Amino acid sequence: MTLGTQRRALPRTHVTGAASSAVRPALESPRRPARVLATFPLCVYLEIRTEQEPTTIAVITGDATRLPNSLLTSGALPQVTVGDDASVGDGSVELGRQSLRARRWWDPAPALPPVELVRLAESATRLTACAGRSPGLAGNGAIALLAEGCAAGSLVRAVTAAEQLVGLGPGLTPSGDDVLAGLLLALRHLGAAARVGRAVWLADWLAATVTFDARTRTTPISATLLHCAARGEASPEVTAVLRALAESRPPEPALGRLARLGHTSGADLTQGLRIGVASVLALGEAA
Amino acid sequence: MAVRTGVYHDSVSLMRVSSALSELAGVEVAIVAMATKLNLGLARDLGFELPPADPSDLLVAVRADDVDAATGELDRLLGALSSRQVAESADYPPRTTRSAARRGGASVVLVSVPGEYAFAEAADAIEAGLDVMVFSDNVPLEQEVRLKELAAERGVLVMGPDCGTAVIGGAGLGFANVLRPGPVGVVAASGTGAQQVTSLLDLAGVGVSHVLGVGSRDLSAEVGGRSTTAALRMLDEDPATELIVLVSKPPSEETARAVREVVEKLRTPVVTALLGTGGPDLTAAAEAALRALGREAPRWPSWPRPAVSGRLRGLYSGGTLCTEARIIAGGGEFVDYGDDAYTRGRAHPMIDPTLRLEALASAEPGDVVLMDVVLGHGAEADPAARLAPAIAAAGVPVVIALIGTEGDPQGLRRQAEALYAAGASVFTSNAEAARHVGTPTDKRGRS
Amino acid sequence: MTLLSGEPHVITVGADLLGEALDAQAVPRTAVDWRPPLPGTSAALARVLADPRRAAANERAVGRLTSARPQLVGVRPAGEVLGLAPGTFLHAGPPITWERASGPMRGALIGAMLFEGLASDPADAADRLAAGRATLEPCHHHRTVGPMAGVVSPSMWMFEVDDAEHGGTAYCSLNEGLGKVLRYGAYGPEVLARLRWMGEVLGPALAAALRLTGPLDLRALIAQALQMGDELHNRNRAATSLLVRELAPAVVDAAPAHAAEVLRFVNGNDHFFLNPAMAAGKVSTDAARNIPGSSLVVAMARNGTDFGVQVSGLGDRWFTGPAGVPDGLYLGAYGPADANPDIGDSTITETSGLGGFAMAAAPAIVRFVGGEVSDAITATRSMYEITLAEHPAYQIPGLGFRGTPVGIDVTLVARTGVLPVVNTGIAGRVAGTGQVGAGLVSPPAEAFVAALNALAD
Repeated sequence: MTLGTQRRALPRTHVTGAASSAVRPALESPRRPARVLATFPLCVYLEIRTEQEPTTIAVITGDATRLPNSLLTSGALPQVTVGDDASVGDGSVELGRQSLRARRWWDPAPALPPVELVRLAESATRLTACAGRSPGLAGNGAIALLAEGCAAGSLVRAVTAAEQLVGLGPGLTPSGDDVLAGLLLALRHLGAAARVGRAVWLADWLAATVTFDARTRTTPISATLLHCAARGEASPEVTAVLRALAESRPPEPALGRLARLGHTSGADLTQGLRIGVASVLALGEAA
Repeated sequence: MAVRTGVYHDSVSLMRVSSALSELAGVEVAIVAMATKLNLGLARDLGFELPPADPSDLLVAVRADDVDAATGELDRLLGALSSRQVAESADYPPRTTRSAARRGGASVVLVSVPGEYAFAEAADAIEAGLDVMVFSDNVPLEQEVRLKELAAERGVLVMGPDCGTAVIGGAGLGFANVLRPGPVGVVAASGTGAQQVTSLLDLAGVGVSHVLGVGSRDLSAEVGGRSTTAALRMLDEDPATELIVLVSKPPSEETARAVREVVEKLRTPVVTALLGTGGPDLTAAAEAALRALGREAPRWPSWPRPAVSGRLRGLYSGGTLCTEARIIAGGGEFVDYGDDAYTRGRAHPMIDPTLRLEALASAEPGDVVLMDVVLGHGAEADPAARLAPAIAAAGVPVVIALIGTEGDPQGLRRQAEALYAAGASVFTSNAEAARHVGTPTDKRGRS
Repeated sequence: MTLLSGEPHVITVGADLLGEALDAQAVPRTAVDWRPPLPGTSAALARVLADPRRAAANERAVGRLTSARPQLVGVRPAGEVLGLAPGTFLHAGPPITWERASGPMRGALIGAMLFEGLASDPADAADRLAAGRATLEPCHHHRTVGPMAGVVSPSMWMFEVDDAEHGGTAYCSLNEGLGKVLRYGAYGPEVLARLRWMGEVLGPALAAALRLTGPLDLRALIAQALQMGDELHNRNRAATSLLVRELAPAVVDAAPAHAAEVLRFVNGNDHFFLNPAMAAGKVSTDAARNIPGSSLVVAMARNGTDFGVQVSGLGDRWFTGPAGVPDGLYLGAYGPADANPDIGDSTITETSGLGGFAMAAAPAIVRFVGGEVSDAITATRSMYEITLAEHPAYQIPGLGFRGTPVGIDVTLVARTGVLPVVNTGIAGRVAGTGQVGAGLVSPPAEAFVAALNALAD
């Protein structure tokens, strides 16, 4: 027998695509090891061995949701399984046999046009009227406390509720995290667009709270998405709802697309947005 | 027993579904059919109790040990019918922009067919209500005017004709650099001018929202700045744009006035770089934009060798860069190889360097060669691969304006280092490159 | 503001390099499979496309074409409704002289001379026709269409179709059936005997029946037939059945003595409905005529020698090229050498969004016209590339009930080089032979180029 058993080193395929600018720091850092956390038909999640956010990157293809921590490849996803080694940095993601680079950067936190509180109040009524899948934490007391605390501008109650919600619920992105993400995004973006400084202030404090120990309280993927939401970074489905509200356009088409995210993610994010909008209105009127 | 509304399948397909269901273990009887009088009667005869239904409803009657399992299988079979219908409707490739636009989903059209055919495709886009970038050159002037009139009627933007560069939400159309997202919006009648400004901003860590090209003739008296004013208004409405930079060759007097009137009414501040009017050069415009955003202008990256002088020969691929360098250098023999006269029937010098390499090889002792090398999408994959040996072989001083970003496919630093190693001085600012060609003993070039 | 918000989706047309640069950025895009236009058309295209009237004119023209509501209102003799003088004959296609007429056209004219009693025998008829003793005019000039040779003489009976939407009227002869028939150039005694029976029995019986039923909605009937596997040019089996279903009781009531033979005749001819479908097409396309600036094709017709088109913005002018020989299947021992060049006004079905344009609706006949089911689907899909609209009523189940492609635009034909797909019967080239086959035919590109050039003037 002369057949060798040594594995030949296979050459890497260079593939390009686009990426959220939220993952630019990770890509431009010196190369660090990473591993495959989860795989789906249109998405592979990577966890990078680092203390610095983003610690997870979603490598996506096709029509997959453009998560704020994602890199969109122009080709097919590499064949990998959970636990496989990968690396991120020096401008590329090395995954399976592929070397992925970004040739386009998108802004996951686009600014909204200015909006009058009165107009925002009109649009907000259409948010509540929207039916869909019910949120994962419907009826949970912490949600009610969060809504009440935010609307009253009470940092103590809002923070207390938020601490109970981080990591609450099953799945890759627990419902509690999705609600908080929706809330943070609405407070920050609509607060800025409607010039309600108190809402942005609240967003800053809540962001600090939920990101403080997110990495020990929830899944790595959800922790990164919370960090993104804390900076105002979202997927286009969320941004589209915020934009419709700011531009006083019917939000239903955008809400419909948001509702289709994940199992209950869309409904949970919508619930968070709803609490956020109500808080912006309440804080704006109180001022 | 159930009635489903809003579902239609032909009877043959449904008979197959019925028989497949009936063959399942534990299924005693299964009828899946449109709820016609006949089928309802059939179900009644089998002892089913009938809810109200009309013939456009789908009737499902199953008697089985495990009804849920049978229903699950039914859903799978009906789903397979629907997905087969979708698979069979794979599309015939669109042969015109009109046809592609009718398929929906698009937000912008990029036209790069030969100039004599560009009007039809661009008109299709406008009639479909889509913004359009016309990369093609050699489009007759009256067609450009007509397209822009049509676009004004439909409320869409025509970028071009002869528009080399646009960046829409980070996506580079035509020749464009890989830029980080940011607050600066650019309106440009000059593609390479826009590339210089945006590349410098990126090097300074400042990103762009969008770059809207308008075409080289937009600010002429005949076209009247129609696209420039439309693009300025679009960026003014864009919440991501905090500052607008307007890049152009000198406009006609009348057009300049019209553009100025629009600029004055915008809420967004505008930095203007109009070349050849004694105004700021492109680098100065980028620096002014940085200051307007409260940023310091950095020292622009460069890989210089000692300043040289001699008979200056400018071999350019970008028209605006060529003009800028000629003005700054104050003399010399400049050729714009990107001009229509050189591109008819051949690729643009950013893609095919042959003509410029020939010109470089014909440089004589005493010449100083000034060139631009433009990186980014669409440009040559590795310009230094052919240019570096040619520089080394030329035997004359070569100064290069290297326009690009570190994110570009070619890699700014890699290109700069290869060109520097071959003996060239390399600047990321075209203005600095032009100033580097020394205190001249003879700037008149060869006559 | 759709351009500047959200992820761009780009249509690319032209250089692959620029499209590939977008692919490398993972920008969603739709690539146009662009090719240069037909040779020599670029200047004319630029002028026609820049015509400020064009877009609105085409929208109006195709809107009238697709909103027409053809209704079968009567069956009457040609002499009465068309005011044809004895010795005047209508024929298919653009104008033609006896000298240039092909075999089947000559045969049909000879048969019509005999039928009208204007000649003693075929040789006499040919002599008189050669001597210019008859007046020949295109059907299309008289609000009429005729299949194959399309010869109409005063004593023949015609379907009368009104447009309930725009008020036009159009006519088409009654279908004689297959085999040895006048429209394929046969003029033997059995041909003339059948024509006489049609005038004496069939026409009056149908006329009386229609008086009882009132107007018959052809738009609805055609829409149903498309969903039953007809494309209304080479397959009319479903439509004919539907027509019989509508008319049979009234025929029995109105003409009890002849009802059986009339219904047997109609039932025995799967193509009986082709003629009402053609009149429906004619009245619909006529509604789209004479709209200044419109580049919509309102007629395609062949006389066995020339293929001609007419365009809405160009009045009644014909633009012609040589008629091609169809490609298809042949009956019995016949082959391509026996085939006459393309003939007939039945291309009015394609002009109005049926026939070859609706091929995907009629998988049953794809083999008859020489292909697979996928070819039929491709044929229909390709026609969307050269048409202005999708028919709101005429739908194709197999394409998810998409409307048929309708409203040929000469600028789109010139730009894509895609020519209309025409389903057709094939006539024998020798007068009197009859049908030798059926298949597909491509119109000559020069007819469309000539029309485009005229629009540019």
